[in-house]
Amino acid sequence: MSQDKRLRIFFTGVGGQGTLTATNLLARTALMCGLEVVAGEVHGMAQRGGVVESVLLLGGWKSPKLDHGEADLLLGFEPLETLRAVPYLRQGGIVFSNSDMLPPLSVSLGVSHYPDLDSIKSEVQKVASQCTFLPCRELGTKAGSVQSGNTVLLAAACANGVLPISLEMLAKGITTFLPEKLHASNLEALRLAEAYLKA
Amino acid sequence: MGKHPLLNETRGEKQLLLGNEAIVRGALEAGVNIITCYPGTPSSEVVDTFRRIGGEGRYKMEYSINEKVAMEVACGAALAGAMSLVTMKHVGLNVAADPLFTTAYTGLPGGLVVLSADDPGCHSSQNEQDNRGYARMAHLPCFEPASAEEARAMTRAAFTLARDLQQPVLLRTTTRISHMRGAVTFHSLPKPSEAVPFEREPMRFVPLPAVARKRHAAVNNIMLRAQEIADQSPFNVETSHTETKLGIIASGVARDYLADALISGGWTDKVDLLELGMTWPLPEKKLSSFLSRHSRILVLEEGDNLLERDVRALCQRIGCAVSIEGKDEILTDMGEYSRSLIMQRLAKWFSCPCPLNPTPTPRTDLPGRPPNLCPGCSHRSVYYAARQVFGDDAIYSSDIGCYTLGVVPPMRMADFLFCMGSSISGGSGFSEVSEKTVVSFIGDSTFFHSGMTGLANAVFNKHKLLLVILDNGTTAMTGHQPNPGMLQESLGEGCTHLDIEQIVRAFGVDQCKKVSSYNVRGLIKALTEFKDMPGIRVLIAQEPCVLYARRTLGKRQPNVAEVVEQNEDTRRCLKELACPAFYKKGEDVAVDQNLCSGCMVCLQVAPKSFKAVKREGGRA
Repeated sequence: MSQDKRLRIFFTGVGGQGTLTATNLLARTALMCGLEVVAGEVHGMAQRGGVVESVLLLGGWKSPKLDHGEADLLLGFEPLETLRAVPYLRQGGIVFSNSDMLPPLSVSLGVSHYPDLDSIKSEVQKVASQCTFLPCRELGTKAGSVQSGNTVLLAAACANGVLPISLEMLAKGITTFLPEKLHASNLEALRLAEAYLKA
Repeated sequence: MGKHPLLNETRGEKQLLLGNEAIVRGALEAGVNIITCYPGTPSSEVVDTFRRIGGEGRYKMEYSINEKVAMEVACGAALAGAMSLVTMKHVGLNVAADPLFTTAYTGLPGGLVVLSADDPGCHSSQNEQDNRGYARMAHLPCFEPASAEEARAMTRAAFTLARDLQQPVLLRTTTRISHMRGAVTFHSLPKPSEAVPFEREPMRFVPLPAVARKRHAAVNNIMLRAQEIADQSPFNVETSHTETKLGIIASGVARDYLADALISGGWTDKVDLLELGMTWPLPEKKLSSFLSRHSRILVLEEGDNLLERDVRALCQRIGCAVSIEGKDEILTDMGEYSRSLIMQRLAKWFSCPCPLNPTPTPRTDLPGRPPNLCPGCSHRSVYYAARQVFGDDAIYSSDIGCYTLGVVPPMRMADFLFCMGSSISGGSGFSEVSEKTVVSFIGDSTFFHSGMTGLANAVFNKHKLLLVILDNGTTAMTGHQPNPGMLQESLGEGCTHLDIEQIVRAFGVDQCKKVSSYNVRGLIKALTEFKDMPGIRVLIAQEPCVLYARRTLGKRQPNVAEVVEQNEDTRRCLKELACPAFYKKGEDVAVDQNLCSGCMVCLQVAPKSFKAVKREGGRA
């Protein structure tokens, strides 16, 4: 892959959502596609109950972490976290985000305010050349499990063409790398994402 | 269950591995015989992976009770001829330093590799010490991988070197390397190593002063041999593109950021590189040649300026007048390096504008997600009870584990902390000179790690201390590794359960009570009784970690809490217990059934406000 096909992806979500599992699925699928892959994640105390961030670099990048302004693609598994991660996106980068919210404790307790989705979208659009919000939890639940909502986001990015990974390869990644009992719901999530984007 | 992919014998197979998994593969390829550890982020996945893959009888492994013990067990095995690996996080090596410094004198015929996983940036640690310093101080050859593939290859090479030289070898990673994923190409998987037969040699292995003095000379000679090996090492690579007089010397993760920075800046052909993977002893011949062929040198290393200092000293020694730069106000000894920091540093060194676009300032007004004790965490109720009894009158001496999060309001149950086990001994010292009651909190794994010695000391020296042992039956924070306090049925046949209460009583503590962590009234009663007593008082608050109970023990409470009355007590419970399962619905308090663990502590805090109801279908 030539240098101009190098791609840096930033993943962000909330502990327990399966952000790292999704990162790993996409990374292994990318390796299966013959791409050069480096991924980075943070484990341990940094993760417990908090924001989970990971990165995936394709095509020969070596750094296992990203700085602000470096991501070509931002995959946000929760809208507030998408907003928080916007500084990582390069000007003109692409964003796919879940639109279903998981309010943090301070919001649940009425101490702080969760920004409304429209203001999140307009903030993201200031930096992104394209941004797409999908109801991942809703589509995932429809597909058979909340967690398969993460596949909705991966599928949307693959369908868009920004990733050098086709939907067919993602489907192959799902059946190769996920436990068998998760195949049906994740393949269904992939179809639902495709249908949602065409609608 | 089939063979784990890490045990695949096919040479040339390519897999995407975590840096720590690549270390496991490298150790298997070297023929490792025994692995010991104390878990600690970012090192834990190494030994957890050895445990998960089973190994088909290839190796023995253990979770030791602390790093010193892990080191001694591994040293003993290496002395008996086994190829041995001991793993720990950076601060663990402080605990294990004593045996390490002396076995580096005596040598270990079987071969010992010490994994130190450092944590620049303090992602989950109390300091960012740079353990490359130990290599210099203890006479240890050192490898620093910068990719998953190098983690495999260098681990394998570290074992070969450790056995050839009979010298302990340091394998030093950082968080980003341990927790990065990359493609790893497998080499063949031989049978485990043959043991090197032990030959009695007390004048080498018993370091009486006369022996130690001789061994100091011996280790110096071994390190001279190691230096020759470093000069030949395929991990110390020079890349010279042009006739440039600019040279960069880089090690560790800085090499990754440098590679990306050079491409991003279009600077690849502007500089020559000397990349170091075997970083101690320094490859002095290679370095001298590199230094003398350039007029300006930039040293890039995350952490302390060790390499920079040594390169400066080497220049002085060989009479080389090259200009050397390294740490400055851009690249400091604090935190992590990054591609953009290195780009800024290079631009300054090249005296050219930095081709980085300005980036938006992160918003600081967004609601955060700080780490918190889980809903149903058995520590929360203990902290609630302690705050009811002592309020701000006591001094709270905390320790290392999930329960350090008790520092977060409204609990505010941590006033100070040094290191593993310090809650007891540090608390003892504080109470010796303070009028205030000192309440120490320690977890079960940390108690076994180094709390027991502090307790023995407290009894022996007649300290006054109220100790609460937060016994959740597992090593929760690092991923539920076994410890001696774990139930026998969970430990299985390979380990023996040790009873904390029996240990405490055997130390001579008369005032010892055991209460369920979910029994709020019982906790308050015990603490109130202990409050004005003299001497050592120990409360063992026991209840399994809620995540461990659910995931591993398969226990899930059938009921959840529901708010039945909105009153002053309901609001007080929200404010003072602050369970993450609570949320506000307008002015009312409600319980999120998906988050509620069913611990029913809120029912005890505000009996009229809550009641137990059957859990609806809910999520798995």
